[in-house]
Amino acid sequence: MNRTTARAATITQAPINPTASEAAPDPAGPVFEIDDVSKRYSSVTALDRVSLSVRPGEFVTLLGPSGSGKTTLLKIIAGATRPTSGRLLLGGRDITHEPPGTRGIGMVFQNFALMPHMSVFENIAFPLHIRKVPKDEIRKRVTEALELIQLPAVMDRKPRELSGGQQQRVAIARCLVYRPPIILMDEPLGALDKKLREQMQYEIKRLHDDLGLTIIFVTHDQEEALTMSDRICLMDGGRICEMGAPADIYSAPKTAFAADFFGAINVFPGRRSAGQDGDDIIRNDDLGAIRIAGSLAPFKDSAGLHWMVRPERIRLLEERQTEDNAFDAIVVDRILFGGLTRLIVRVGSATLTLAQLTGSSAFVGKGDRIRIGWPADATVPLTSD
Amino acid sequence: MHSRSAISVKPSRWLPGWLQAAFVPTWAWVAYGLMVVPCILVIPMSFAGEDQLVFPPRQFSLDLYRKFFGSVVWMEALKQSVVVASGTAVLATCIGVSAAYGFVRGRFFGRSVIGFLLFSPMLVPAVVLALGVYLYFARLGLTSTTLGIVFAHTVLTLPFVVVTSSSGMRQIDVNVELAATMMGASRFVILTRVVLPQVWPSVLASALLAFLISFDEAVLTWFIAGAGTATLPVVMFSSLKSEVSPIIAAAATLLMTTTMLLSLIIALLTKRASDE
Repeated sequence: MNRTTARAATITQAPINPTASEAAPDPAGPVFEIDDVSKRYSSVTALDRVSLSVRPGEFVTLLGPSGSGKTTLLKIIAGATRPTSGRLLLGGRDITHEPPGTRGIGMVFQNFALMPHMSVFENIAFPLHIRKVPKDEIRKRVTEALELIQLPAVMDRKPRELSGGQQQRVAIARCLVYRPPIILMDEPLGALDKKLREQMQYEIKRLHDDLGLTIIFVTHDQEEALTMSDRICLMDGGRICEMGAPADIYSAPKTAFAADFFGAINVFPGRRSAGQDGDDIIRNDDLGAIRIAGSLAPFKDSAGLHWMVRPERIRLLEERQTEDNAFDAIVVDRILFGGLTRLIVRVGSATLTLAQLTGSSAFVGKGDRIRIGWPADATVPLTSD
Repeated sequence: MHSRSAISVKPSRWLPGWLQAAFVPTWAWVAYGLMVVPCILVIPMSFAGEDQLVFPPRQFSLDLYRKFFGSVVWMEALKQSVVVASGTAVLATCIGVSAAYGFVRGRFFGRSVIGFLLFSPMLVPAVVLALGVYLYFARLGLTSTTLGIVFAHTVLTLPFVVVTSSSGMRQIDVNVELAATMMGASRFVILTRVVLPQVWPSVLASALLAFLISFDEAVLTWFIAGAGTATLPVVMFSSLKSEVSPIIAAAATLLMTTTMLLSLIIALLTKRASDE
């Protein structure tokens, strides 16, 4: 059912109307399911029982350091590698043992992978030629695709005559033109410089929103993942260690690994303890008692317990102001990051980082004694596995 | 690059710098000249137009060429050479290019063993190979046949075809083929519309190389060619033994010109392939 819908959708159609799709019989059902997939090489487990279901129109990012298994998973979805166990379901159809060619999945590569000997038109027309689409229709659809990527005038050029960003747009058009049910993107912006990368992030996001594309995006860049995704699958050691919406996974990660991956600062070890009023608190050797919101009940014991506070949640306290967690600190360094300025401060022997809007407060310089604090709900308890 | 520069050793100076810099190229040119001059000498001799091989020529004449193109024996030999070399080029290219693709892209059991076997004709002395092929073909009834010579030359030229065409294939991006596969292209479509259009210069270069090697191969052909199937080099060799006819100078000049022309084209194609 999902598959027919995906196939029937044309690339020129208006954005999928959410209310209309909610009325359809099975709209929220997954378009693509990874069911308990593992991949073992002789002694190495590259993927360990990974499950993921992707909803139609969803932008899912596989995020992780190199060697985390994200590329292996992508290769398995593409059909370039066979899983050792588990199943892949595309629109309810088991494609685990299907060759890449019959799966009908689209893919955008980091190095573009355009046919160098073909013109832009021929490149985009290639999948349609294979599908034996009539000539007039091919011309029409290629023209539409080029308009979508906002490059209508390059039809007769060879890929090498285009810039990196333009080549990647053509590669995306080559995918859009045959309307695959899902599009895989393997670090598609990795070969572009920073400014262009930001522009292309926006561009891909726009196409995703306008056309209702279902995208599985692979990257090792956490900022890219936060900017673009509907959902992030953070991978480590061949497993999905955390999965959630970008805002949740950033501000309330569950593991020390996730906290670390989205900015390796202000993560500290701690022990489970009880405060005077009976609430759970975390005890840290350097900072003493740290107040948290809620209980530590899910953390059965102190083994591997860590906690984190995001730099932008810590604020400078003025005289007489107080906060759930408040400390005297000495400014060690001050680093400008464009719109944000980071203050590195020392509390006892612990080093904390806090972020402020540049120019937002009175100048604080190296060596100044200040008072800092953060509310209890900014303390995020973490497990280390 | 880095690893290479790490192990490179600066040569010790045993001569003044400029002299040492000039020494190696000079020596190379002298050695090259000694090898090439005898070949070059044949060219003026071929235009002497006399009944004997003389140097220096006393007159300019195209007589020897007229005799060469007028002689049934030489014409048959030339025709045979062209047929054999063309057949070899086609067969060796078909097999060699497919093999090269397999070696560059494939990871299969026995890959290195097959690779070694494929390259063994380059390692075995020509006479030993010739004797082996002769004895084997005698059993199959392939000696003295054009087909037999083509087969033998194909074996001989295969390693060169594989090396030349795989160097081109190594430079093309695997992901382009994966992309084509995912778009639904069959293996055949990928080979003909994605791979070959990208590597045609090196494929053409390897075909010409096969043609060239076959065209002036003498030892192997000498063993298996019969009276009616002798190629140009074989006929030249036998004419040299029986009667030293000056026509051989014309034949040699033609052979040399063809060879140099083809080598030039191959060099240009290979350069083009590595530039892209």
